[in-house]
Amino acid sequence: MTAGRGRPHASYVQHDCKSKWVAGTLLTLGVSGPAYASDPSPDELKALEASLRADSESRPVAAPAPPTPVGPALDLALILDVAASWFSDDADLQSGGHDPRGTGFTFQQLELSAGANVDPFFRFDANLVFTTFGVEVEEAYATTSALPGGLQVRAGQFLTRFGRANATHPHAWSFLDQNLVLGRMFGSEGNRGLGAEVSWLAPLPWFVELSVSGIEGSGECCARSHASAEALPVETPADLVSTVALKQFFPLSPSLSLLFGASFQTGPNASGRENRSELYGADLFLRWRPVGSPNRFSLNWESEAIHRRQQVPRAVVTDTGASTQLVAQWTPEWSTGLRGEWLEALDEDPWAQGEARTRGSAQATWCPSHFSRVRLQLNVDDATTGSTNAPVWGAMLGLEVVTGSHGGHGY
Amino acid sequence: MALALALALGPGRVDARVSVAATTGSLGGIVEAVGGDLVDVTVLADPSEDPHFVDARPNLVVVLHGADLLVSVGLELEVGWLPGLERAARNPRIAAGQPGRFEAATALPKLLDVPTGRIDRAQGDVHPGGNPHFLYDPRRAAEVGHALAQRLAAIDPPNAGPYVLAAQRFADACRALGARELQRFSALAAERKVVVTYHASWVYLLDWLGLEAATTVEPKPGVSPSPAHVAQVLQVVRARGVRVILQEEYYPRGTSETLAKLTGAQLVLLEGAARSGPGQGYLAHVQRMTEQVHAALSR
Repeated sequence: MTAGRGRPHASYVQHDCKSKWVAGTLLTLGVSGPAYASDPSPDELKALEASLRADSESRPVAAPAPPTPVGPALDLALILDVAASWFSDDADLQSGGHDPRGTGFTFQQLELSAGANVDPFFRFDANLVFTTFGVEVEEAYATTSALPGGLQVRAGQFLTRFGRANATHPHAWSFLDQNLVLGRMFGSEGNRGLGAEVSWLAPLPWFVELSVSGIEGSGECCARSHASAEALPVETPADLVSTVALKQFFPLSPSLSLLFGASFQTGPNASGRENRSELYGADLFLRWRPVGSPNRFSLNWESEAIHRRQQVPRAVVTDTGASTQLVAQWTPEWSTGLRGEWLEALDEDPWAQGEARTRGSAQATWCPSHFSRVRLQLNVDDATTGSTNAPVWGAMLGLEVVTGSHGGHGY
Repeated sequence: MALALALALGPGRVDARVSVAATTGSLGGIVEAVGGDLVDVTVLADPSEDPHFVDARPNLVVVLHGADLLVSVGLELEVGWLPGLERAARNPRIAAGQPGRFEAATALPKLLDVPTGRIDRAQGDVHPGGNPHFLYDPRRAAEVGHALAQRLAAIDPPNAGPYVLAAQRFADACRALGARELQRFSALAAERKVVVTYHASWVYLLDWLGLEAATTVEPKPGVSPSPAHVAQVLQVVRARGVRVILQEEYYPRGTSETLAKLTGAQLVLLEGAARSGPGQGYLAHVQRMTEQVHAALSR
């Protein structure tokens, strides 16, 4: 929603030119005009011409509108997320870089999001994240806007389109913390890096989008299945972290929609020469939104599973993680949600990151407007790493405010 | 004869209808009226959907990808959902500034509720360019029809004549309806011509029919009613003897129903947009609205 940018007032249509031209076309119409639903009879023509004349006389004639006084549009938004939280155990079990942590306050992030068309050929988007320690270029990329054949290319620093949650930012999430599967498989910031992506909208009657990207895996934060601590050197394309994702959408009825995605990722890992990690993902988004519901009610079920296969010296280790969430939007102001997450233990854990996890969460959200929301979330985490070995409870209260011009999020 | 006609039209034009995507049902109805059989219209928003909050389902991306012309209301009515779809559609024909991109608001010489001075979100969802619900006034729809015909003529020059002609017919019908209903509403007693609306979406209809909105159920555009504000609305309804509360069927009804019960006013739920199909269309929708409003006001 935008409210700051001015928009020029509507301009007049130049009726004086039009009416002459219309009369000309009317005269030729009876002779060679193309077949049209109901060609007028000569009497009708006369009547129409008369009304045309009357109209053009009665309507105001205005000078052409002056050039638009608005400068090139740059959509700028600042998004602030802060939280207060309490945990029953000191062990830090949160895996997201912007999650509420420990007992006390957390400055989750201040995101500056900017976007604009560069020219008729490119669009620019950036998300800069300010923490109390500095600025981080989360995303900054250019996207083509005029390629033929349903193609689109992105280049720069971006979140890959693996699965459903990864390409989204914290302020698009229904829950206050990152889901554990992303933390385990990709890292605290999700899977992102510097590279390029080609995506293609297939010429089919339903929505099918295929995307292929190659990025440099940039360490523990953002590609931990591939480059554990630091980026690996890139000498050939096989040294890049490559992602292929296919998304399909089925409008099952006017009220029910299904978005299905399948993803694959491959890249080198840091366990030794030529060792690689592969990730297989499936995601599902089922949305029931009865059309005409006066309260804009919707029920949203999102699930995502990732299976990982890693070559390590003398072995191949595999693990799987899954998360599922059900969010009900009761009114434009209120929503509630439940989330369950599960991570399989790594049998032989080369990275010291493979403990089994099960976590359940519940949240209630109040949105006073489209630009602010307050969320209360409870977590219960059956982690085996807590100091007491008992379930760890957590409670979080988060506030988010959005200012400036920030468009709607993707489906 | 058929062969000669086909030759005259030139190759590729015989079956090539202009593919038009319209954001709302009412715009779709205007496109149908102006384009007739020469265009193929798809409406993006369900008629029962609030045009501010359309579900940006990815099947709409496919529609936009194939569109020769995208017709929207403008004035940031669709700002929450359309830009993302346009980007995903990868269709340079409908990019801003291209002939394939038409904003209906640009056809209008005069808009209502154009804010003056500084705009602030503390004022609610204020549209900086003016109130975007102008299609509730058929006289303004007539202007949109004319401008749309020009645009269709630019995209499909061989059929310029039929577009312009159809737009004129449509405009005549709109103005006739406008004059007829204005006359009918003018006959109402002055004290009956006061209404309360839920959202500030009825200003153009009120402007056309000479009605007055005493207040709105929403305290500010897009902000849900608070108890204190509802108490104020209640006072206004009683003090002014308001008989009718108007709202689109896609807005929450609880508050308006309570107000109606407490004051004896009638809650009139109206379809927010035209539907397509036999007996439907833009004019039928506007006619239905005025019937409902008139019946309630003269009760």
